[in-house]
Amino acid sequence: MTLRKLFVGCFVFGCQFISAQNDSIVPLREVIVSDAQLKNFSQTQSVSVLNDSVIKKNQSSLTSLLNYNSAIYFKENGLGMVSSPSFRGTTAQQTAVIWNGININSQLNGQTDFNTITTRDFDNVAVRAGGGSAIYGSGAIGGSIHLNNDMVFREQFTNELLLNCGSFHFIGANYKIRASTEKASTQISVSRNSSDNDYKYLDTNRKNENGQFQNTSIHANFGYQLNPATILKFYSQLFEGERHFSGTLAAPSKSKYRNLDTRNLMEWDGVFHSFVSKFKLAFLGEQYTYFEDKDQSFYTTGRAETVVVKHDLTYKVNAKLIFNSIVDFTQTKGFGSDVLAHKRQIASGIFLMKLHVFKQLQYEISVRKEDTQNYKSPFLYAIGTKYDVTKNYNLKLNFSRNFRIPTFNDLYWKGSGNASLNPEDAYQFEVGQEMVFKNIRISATGFYNKIENMISWKPNTSGVWRPENTNKVHAYGMESNLNLNEKIGKHNLNLQANYAYTVSENQETKKQLIYTPFHKMITSLEYSYNKTAIYCQFLYNGKVFTSSDNFYKLQEYKVFNMGFDYDFGKSKTYKIGFQILNLFNEKYQSVSMRPMPGINFNINMNLKL
Amino acid sequence: MNFKKVILLALLSPIFLVSCTKDEDPIIETPLGAYDNGILILNQGGFNKGNASISYLSNDFSTLQNNIFSLVNPTLILGDVAQNMAIYGDLAFIVANISNKIEVVNRYTMAHVATITTGMNNPRYIAFANGKGYVTNWGNGSSVSDDFVAVLDLTNYTVSGTISVVEGPDKIIENNGYLYVAHSGGFGYGNTISVINTISDAVTSTINVGDVPNSMEINNGSLYVLCEGKSSWSGAETAGELDKVDLGTNTVTSSINFSLTAHPSNLDIDNEKLYYTSGSSVYSMGIAATTLPTSALLTISAQGGNTIYSFAVKNNYIYVGDAGDFSANGKVFTYFSSGTYVHSHTVGVIPAGFCFNK
Repeated sequence: MTLRKLFVGCFVFGCQFISAQNDSIVPLREVIVSDAQLKNFSQTQSVSVLNDSVIKKNQSSLTSLLNYNSAIYFKENGLGMVSSPSFRGTTAQQTAVIWNGININSQLNGQTDFNTITTRDFDNVAVRAGGGSAIYGSGAIGGSIHLNNDMVFREQFTNELLLNCGSFHFIGANYKIRASTEKASTQISVSRNSSDNDYKYLDTNRKNENGQFQNTSIHANFGYQLNPATILKFYSQLFEGERHFSGTLAAPSKSKYRNLDTRNLMEWDGVFHSFVSKFKLAFLGEQYTYFEDKDQSFYTTGRAETVVVKHDLTYKVNAKLIFNSIVDFTQTKGFGSDVLAHKRQIASGIFLMKLHVFKQLQYEISVRKEDTQNYKSPFLYAIGTKYDVTKNYNLKLNFSRNFRIPTFNDLYWKGSGNASLNPEDAYQFEVGQEMVFKNIRISATGFYNKIENMISWKPNTSGVWRPENTNKVHAYGMESNLNLNEKIGKHNLNLQANYAYTVSENQETKKQLIYTPFHKMITSLEYSYNKTAIYCQFLYNGKVFTSSDNFYKLQEYKVFNMGFDYDFGKSKTYKIGFQILNLFNEKYQSVSMRPMPGINFNINMNLKL
Repeated sequence: MNFKKVILLALLSPIFLVSCTKDEDPIIETPLGAYDNGILILNQGGFNKGNASISYLSNDFSTLQNNIFSLVNPTLILGDVAQNMAIYGDLAFIVANISNKIEVVNRYTMAHVATITTGMNNPRYIAFANGKGYVTNWGNGSSVSDDFVAVLDLTNYTVSGTISVVEGPDKIIENNGYLYVAHSGGFGYGNTISVINTISDAVTSTINVGDVPNSMEINNGSLYVLCEGKSSWSGAETAGELDKVDLGTNTVTSSINFSLTAHPSNLDIDNEKLYYTSGSSVYSMGIAATTLPTSALLTISAQGGNTIYSFAVKNNYIYVGDAGDFSANGKVFTYFSSGTYVHSHTVGVIPAGFCFNK
């Protein structure tokens, strides 16, 4: 590997140790979050942040949070089962999930199962729409989801407990402790969710059988200021889940699936004058065990272990110009009973620049080049601009080239992997506009995404399924968003509305991709007075096709949720709440033959001391 | 599509806009009433999609009706991965593999008669002998020791017993009170035929054949077994072979080897001719021939076909089921026995078998 060649013109590795005699006590914003690019290099695209209070109001799975609070469409194999996104009309592998700045999409299948992420462990979840591969790597084509933990350095000690009990014997608990001083920061969060999940299939005399699930996750973050300019941080997460895979209307099931994900990140941050240096070392582990018959001992399994070494250096030339270079080395080992054991090494060089030409006009430029023996790596880039036309109105333009690399399953699946696959290649253009008034924000973004070399598993003439770089897809459409916040005395009103229109067309057949709706709309409204809050959520998913010839389809559906809570506390939080989900008992399926629950209830309690 | 459109979309986008376009009203189809004098085509449907269906094509090819099980029985779901359909008396039995069940219908009207849901574990194929039904079952795919043939009591549609067999029992065929079960091997690779006496319901002998026997035919006191050989990804690829078994002695009397990569399947015999497929091609040879044909009779790629998923020859017509991409509706191509293309019909998802319903 010719690392050196790649980084000519980039910054020298190792600047981070020039630290010492800086006298700032409170660290820069840049070191509080690990994913600095989300703030610094995402201004020319649309980013929406779901904060702690939104996270708490929604069910604990990442599926549920994003389904009701973003334009991303989800297909869920029944409540709590395998869940995958379609962001801007793209496939499940074309949405990247970023944990504290590190891409955590599965190395085995290239996607994240959104029901294996517990949102309660994070301080905020950000949705960054559009191409981001130059910064975040493989899969950031439709967009990326950022799971963030903030490192707080101030005197604080809080204990928080969140308990949920609901229909189908759902029990959820989250305990979080935050303890920090000006020098040290600790956050530990433990979550546990379980459910019998045996809901009734509406209009039948059947129940959701073999759909029970349980999961536990632990998140621990530590930060320590070695001296005013140097901070050492650790982020550690473990998720352990066991799900029985439920049957369908047409077939019973007796299978069971366990997964264990571990994520560890060590970060050494240094601040020196205009330089911020971050040295990161991450270990990611993923493992699944699939039991064809839950009562038997035999199983199949897959594992991947990833090491990431990263150096991220930001140089703030002046108020108008920022340079950022990232050098990344990633090694993944995949093995198990389903894939051939293999090792993959990827070295990447990333260079970012942000320029404020004048106060109202800024540019963001990012480029990335990878070096690996496994596939031909394209030169990735993004160039974007934001122009504040008036104080209340701005325009954004962004053009990028993104990719999705072949996964271990694509390359090395026993018997049918194809080791000569190339990455999926996507060119994206988007134009957005945003109006911001005192308490109202309206935005609309049009996008056009040309995706080539799509990796799809196809049967050859002998009926053997193998992955190939074949399909071409053009995905285009628009997203619009309205956010209103009105505060009059003790009255508080918040309205969020989001609508997306998406065409995602296979260029060979001129048919819409399966499980990508033309229309998705969400609305949420919250009203609070003093200590009482009442809120509702509305979700509309348009019809989707379920076969490649668009002959079979699933009907559109609407789901309406409602909630109420009251805070008994004065200075602390003693909140009791009640939720009604699917209030109008809509009979719907997110995936064909897999009914979702009708009306169901949930009681929750939130203590913060 | 171009940037102009993108910009237009962005500028014109209203905040609340839900399409008001109503889908055109579905055409309400009524059942034909009688499904005799034609071919019942079993469409197995996608894995976990529960969209198995049955199509009817009249013998004069003038009438095609898809989805006839649902049309007649609108409240029922035929199943998930309908592996096999077989006729017995006035009834048709449909084995739904992932659904772990058998649907029994009147073969002339498609009216539902019974559903057998207990006693099956990964059912594959069905045959009838001695007034009983016999269903091959793989058991759990990962277990090599739980495979069996379920015995059906046809008076009350229940499983009345099981016959334990070696791994991967698949195709099953009856002759003279005996059943011949081809062990293709399930998730592994088999190379035997089990012989079952249907009076004692016990395995009485085992015939060794080539690797992965995938289809069988009985003709003139002989059992013809087509073995596809082990696939290239097995790590130890073997050639296919066509074995002829003398049913008096249960021994292989002749064997013809294929080239290593041919991996033939879909053996059928019609009018003293033997047919099989390999890749997207159909081959035919005289029943007594001792060498394989050197060129194909036909290839479905001429009709835009992709994968021969099912195959039958009857009364000098060749029927080929093409599963396409396994997601979209499949096609059935019809040819004369000379190989001349006649026509094609769009049927359900993954056409998997043909039943000739006189």
